[in-house]
Amino acid sequence: MCLAVPGRITAMDKAWATVDIMGVESIVSILLIDKPELGDCILVHAGCAIQKINEAYLAYLQEVFSELLDEKV
Amino acid sequence: MDTKRLITCLMEDIRKKTASELNLMEVCGTHTRAFFQSGIREMLPPSIRLLSGPGCPVCVTDEACIDAAIALLKEKDIHLATFGDMLRVRGTHESLSDQFGKRGNVSIAYSPLDCLALSKKLSGRQLVFLAVGFETTAPSIALAVKLAKENGIGNLSFLMALKRMPPVLHHILAAKRNRLHGIICPGHVAAVMGARYFSFIAQEYAIPAVICGFEAMDMACGIYMLTRQCNGQERSSLRNLYKTCVGDEGNATANKLLQEVFEVDEASWRGIGRIKDSAYVLSSRYKDFDALNRFCIRLSNPLPKSGCSCGDVIIGNILPYECRMFEVVCRPQNPLGPCMVSSEGSCAIYFNNGRVPMK
Ligand code: SF4
Repeated sequence: MCLAVPGRITAMDKAWATVDIMGVESIVSILLIDKPELGDCILVHAGCAIQKINEAYLAYLQEVFSELLDEKV
Repeated sequence: MDTKRLITCLMEDIRKKTASELNLMEVCGTHTRAFFQSGIREMLPPSIRLLSGPGCPVCVTDEACIDAAIALLKEKDIHLATFGDMLRVRGTHESLSDQFGKRGNVSIAYSPLDCLALSKKLSGRQLVFLAVGFETTAPSIALAVKLAKENGIGNLSFLMALKRMPPVLHHILAAKRNRLHGIICPGHVAAVMGARYFSFIAQEYAIPAVICGFEAMDMACGIYMLTRQCNGQERSSLRNLYKTCVGDEGNATANKLLQEVFEVDEASWRGIGRIKDSAYVLSSRYKDFDALNRFCIRLSNPLPKSGCSCGDVIIGNILPYECRMFEVVCRPQNPLGPCMVSSEGSCAIYFNNGRVPMK
């Protein structure tokens, strides 16, 4: 439950964003990140964006996290 | 050079240059799992022992907190929501899943923010969120508390069991029995709090620490950095290898929110005991949202369960399979202790990965 997962903002509505997290859409609070924009890559934990990350890192993290999540029992 | 070859080179270098035995602690259960999965654990020389740390919130939530949640369900007719991993953790006598089966008034929440909508659906019935986690989870819980207050949600409160990482690390590092030579810090805690949050490890205890991500190369580099410092090739310091996610100062907005909504207090850790300043509790401004206050429930003083050695596992004194209950009576399907419950609990990780004893 401590894993923060990487995703990309695909839509925004005030304090909330739709985020594509490895192909799954989630509604996430964007109140805790600075100047969120459409297309931003973010780390998401427990329904909140907790950090922005860069584009290149998104793909790299997605690969790692999908492996980790697949393993989850 | 591809990643696999690079990792092999790093491991060869570690093997050549590490003469003495080194105990390295990965604080976070996600790292424990990733070390198994990436194969790094098996590639390490026998002199390097990886020990699991106290970074799984499910494992450290004490019996009194589960007992309080069960008392709320039984005596106050509330609806309880929490993260799924918490359901099978036992209090003194039973777990939340026992109540879930009997009453159906327990919900699994993916996020504490889900409680804002759920509280409306319950049409006036009181909803309590069992708030567990570390600094990574604390901002979303703080946000849920703040939004509940701002929106005047009168039927939502929080059973607080949030923990802070530095005090438990101080507790482990300052102990006489401590035999750790280096620490692998939880990257996602650092993403919120900033890299500096962990600088005390090298400064106060003169052992190296690294902040690294969860990719094999990151973790191999993390161990490489630690061993270089342990071998005296470099001075002991905190190295941040997770720079894309972790800045020195962390997330300023989240930190401001944590300061507004929470205060620091003593907490009871399962199997470890009470640790000063290791809890986030609601600040006076948000005390109305404290479930214990609202429902006049007192935390019990549970007797430690005999047989389970989780307390020793999560401070690195023993490895999971060194507990005499491991596999024999304690398994993920029927966990005796909390380290066997969560997929990020050390005992469950060792069980699910064929235990792979350290050489
Ligand atoms: S194997 Fe079970 S009983 Fe032993 S420490 Fe782990 S969780 Fe506790």
